[in-house]
Amino acid sequence: MCPPDNFGVVYEINPWMHTEVGPDPDLARAQFDNLVATLTASGAEVEMLPSETGLPDMVFTANAGVVSGGTFVPARFRHPQRQGETPLDTAWFRSNGYDVRELPAGGCQEGAGDALPIFSPGIRPVLVCGYRFRSDISTHGAISSLLGVPTRSVELADDRFYHLDLCFCPLNGRRAMVASAGFDRYGMAVIESLVPEPLILDTEEALSFCANSVVVGDVVVMPACPPRVGRILESWGFSVVVVDVGEFLKAGGGCRCLTLALDVDLSDTCDSQAT
Amino acid sequence: MITETVELAGHILDSLTLPKVLDMVISREADYRIVEMEVGRTNLDPSRVLLELTTGDSETMNKLIAELHIQGANLVGDADAEVVACETAGVLPAGFYATTNLPTRVRIGGTWIEVSYPEMDCALVVDETGARAVPMHAVRPGDPVVVGQRGVTVEPPRRARDRSAFEFMNSDASSEKPKGLIVARVADRVRAAHRATPPGKVLAVCGPAVIHTGAGPDLARLVAAGWIDVLFAGNGFATHDIESNMLGTSLGVSMAGEASGEEGHSNHLVAINEVRRHGSIAAAVKRGALTGGVMFECCTHHVPFVLGGSVRDDGPLPDVITDVVAAADAMRSHLPGVGVALMLASTLHAIATGNLLAASVETFCIDINQAVVTKLADRGSHQALGIVTDVGLFLRELADNLCRD
Repeated sequence: MCPPDNFGVVYEINPWMHTEVGPDPDLARAQFDNLVATLTASGAEVEMLPSETGLPDMVFTANAGVVSGGTFVPARFRHPQRQGETPLDTAWFRSNGYDVRELPAGGCQEGAGDALPIFSPGIRPVLVCGYRFRSDISTHGAISSLLGVPTRSVELADDRFYHLDLCFCPLNGRRAMVASAGFDRYGMAVIESLVPEPLILDTEEALSFCANSVVVGDVVVMPACPPRVGRILESWGFSVVVVDVGEFLKAGGGCRCLTLALDVDLSDTCDSQAT
Repeated sequence: MITETVELAGHILDSLTLPKVLDMVISREADYRIVEMEVGRTNLDPSRVLLELTTGDSETMNKLIAELHIQGANLVGDADAEVVACETAGVLPAGFYATTNLPTRVRIGGTWIEVSYPEMDCALVVDETGARAVPMHAVRPGDPVVVGQRGVTVEPPRRARDRSAFEFMNSDASSEKPKGLIVARVADRVRAAHRATPPGKVLAVCGPAVIHTGAGPDLARLVAAGWIDVLFAGNGFATHDIESNMLGTSLGVSMAGEASGEEGHSNHLVAINEVRRHGSIAAAVKRGALTGGVMFECCTHHVPFVLGGSVRDDGPLPDVITDVVAAADAMRSHLPGVGVALMLASTLHAIATGNLLAASVETFCIDINQAVVTKLADRGSHQALGIVTDVGLFLRELADNLCRD
């Protein structure tokens, strides 16, 4: 995670951002600290990446890149406003001993925000990759070969869900929250083939950002939780913890966007559940 | 028809990218052919497919390519047209592409650009404003000129599309058709051109026989009623039109059927001389020296005309452009927007205009001599439809038909 020392809404690169609705820095800091505490209490360990002036979106570390085991594939951001994050992200991963493998020039890919793995026991992990608004499908082949993981490309259909992690949240090998408004019928068919028991979110539920949740074991840390969604998650045995990250929603990001899971291994031999 | 090949690679089967791309091709009413396909052996191996796409026009292809690019399909190969900058004004680079008057497209930077007004026997100049046919004398140093055939497609003539215009005539030129029906159909095409959005202009290209056959007043009626939007002719047509209105004769022969008057052979010179005295036909009209006829109506109703000169012209009238290159350029400047061209008993000016017209312009060639129509077609104006009849009768019926409205 990356502390919100330099967080703000100073440009508009998604439909949620409005520069005239700026976040309160103190409140943002308190919400961030609360999220860290909640994740820690749920059993996660949190590493911090220092923030940098002039890079207000660096708090959203989900977009830094894609992690698998000891390998890190840095993002290629669509917008120049975020491209300055990549050298800092890359330096952090390199200094922490990661093997950094770059995507070939040409396409954009915004990290784990557009690449979410599905782990099913006994089945090779699959990386579901979103494309259209922030990432290009042309990068998916390179991700597959750099990380040795089969990818499934799904086109995002609604710019309010401009990253995959706003409309898709894998919960475990069989289940995931899926906002059908975020996909076209081909994408939905792909998701349904991978997720036997989807929790289909209606558009109103999805617009609460509830799919932008962090799953730590059986705990789902959510920016919001519509009652129906909460009941289903609990009936499936998950504990729901709602953390107010309202200041970050002003920039179009929730709990998931504020984190990048490091305990992910997409290689064939691994069948562990990562967050 | 435009054909392009695109490559799609990756996990395109499990991600349903291939079926999606094929659906997109079909929904654009384009066609595809799978040229090559390699399916990955394991779920980690990428698959690869080479697709040949065919669309009816360049706009559809450009849109389709842009849509498919988002799905990861990329154009294969570099089939862009080669352009070379002109070095000398009026001299084309070696190997220049010579145009036809058929719908033409040029591929630049992977995008097909429509040639804005295809004219035969020109060069193709491609710059930021688009692609256009430019006659040899008009190229300037630095103009990017297409060389070679690569990256240029020409749409073959499609009679089927124009059935509405041509279905009533199967042969190119015929004297065996009922003229009344043909005149009515030509009148319909003229009306259709004016009703189109944006409205198409109607061009009349006139030979002196229009006046000799006594059809001057009928053509003048058509001009006055707004059916003719631009007129091309030579010194002869304008002179005899003016002579017949000033002196009542055409080439000295009385239009009213009386015997030739004394000194009648010089009447046309008198008419030219009178117009030259005023400086222009419009000035003669303004000062009341010319009070009727086709040229009078053109001046009165602000219908632009171009009079192109030739070496045997008497006078000529002051409006005649004696520099033939300048005359052709002046004609060219009036052609954008022309939807129907009527070639009225004119050989030289009909062929000159045919050289400048895009094949998409509905062209009717009315002449008593079938050879004129054949000549037009032989020189590349395949779109010209011949009507072998007396131009005087034709124009009378056409004016009666259209001026009823």
